[in-house]
Amino acid sequence: MRSLTEEETRTIFTKLAAYTGRSLNALITPAEDGTQSVFRLQGSRVYYMRKELANLSVSFPREALLSCGTMVGKMTKTGKFRINLTALDLLAQHARYKVWIKANGVMPLLYGGSVLKAHVARFSEDCPENAGVIILDSNDVPLGFGVTARSSAQIAKLDPTSIAVHRQADSGEYLREEDTLFTT
Amino acid sequence: MAPSKGPNVGGAKGVAKGGAKGGKSSSLSSASRVSKSKDGPKRPPAKEQKTKPRTAQENLKRKKKRVYTEKELDLPELNQITPVGVIKPKGKKKGKTFVDDAEGMMTILAMVNAEKEGQIESKMMKARQLEEIREAKRAEAEARMKERKNKFDDVKDSIRQKKKGGRGDKAAEPTSIKDSISKPGRSKKKTVAFA
Repeated sequence: MRSLTEEETRTIFTKLAAYTGRSLNALITPAEDGTQSVFRLQGSRVYYMRKELANLSVSFPREALLSCGTMVGKMTKTGKFRINLTALDLLAQHARYKVWIKANGVMPLLYGGSVLKAHVARFSEDCPENAGVIILDSNDVPLGFGVTARSSAQIAKLDPTSIAVHRQADSGEYLREEDTLFTT
Repeated sequence: MAPSKGPNVGGAKGVAKGGAKGGKSSSLSSASRVSKSKDGPKRPPAKEQKTKPRTAQENLKRKKKRVYTEKELDLPELNQITPVGVIKPKGKKKGKTFVDDAEGMMTILAMVNAEKEGQIESKMMKARQLEEIREAKRAEAEARMKERKNKFDDVKDSIRQKKKGGRGDKAAEPTSIKDSISKPGRSKKKTVAFA
């Protein structure tokens, strides 16, 4: 487990910033009680954890360490970064754009489907096209995240069957991808 | 066969060299003896000696023995394919540079955020402009449709009026004629037939 290089940090923040607003700073800045959280790389996976935990994890051999803290995503071999579903909690706290879906759209989403216009209950204002959004149900529970297919102004004029948000990850993956979600 | 040949050849060469060396040494020694023994009269042979060493193998061998290093020769370096990533500056530290301090992270994050917001802003601007254009187009199309409809209605009305006018004239004339000619009972029948 090691800390990130400059380039890795930049790629990760660029990706996270697609879904979050300026409040992303809160991830790095030390909390009021003095605890600081850090990003660490273990193999190809990036974890977010408290600094004390990161320091303690050094006492384990790399091969033996399976996971530590919250997994944010995976670095690909070409140097890109893929956000994992497990980062949903982090993203939801600092989301820039949000979509609330009706009860009839929850199950299709959890089975891996996209969010249709008919499922959309509410949409963040002034949301551009191809922007990262957090998908929530009517009780403000985050279900996943995706990318808008149209801008919020255009979505209002769409057909009920047309896609409003392309799914990137959803909570259903915890069951569907159970075998591969944490494998290195 | 090969191993037997090798040593033979080597031996022969060795022998030849040895022979040559031996001959050279003997000639030198004899010359020195001659020079020592007789001073004035034997100078022509000395001239011959001058010419010999320049062409002789011994002198050439001596020159070859001096080994020059690459730097001394100052020759242009060979054309080698050296990928960009391979050449590293000499003074620089080896390996990765980690960002572990909060300040470094914050600067990177600030840069990324600024970039992202700029992108979003430009996207929104573009979207707004496109939306305006779309609105204008729609308004224009609507106006055109309305105009066309109005024109159509006008044409319809004019045709109706024409028809009404025509019928009215035609109907008025015959009825008047009929009224004048026919009895009121017949005219009633006609009206029923028309209806």
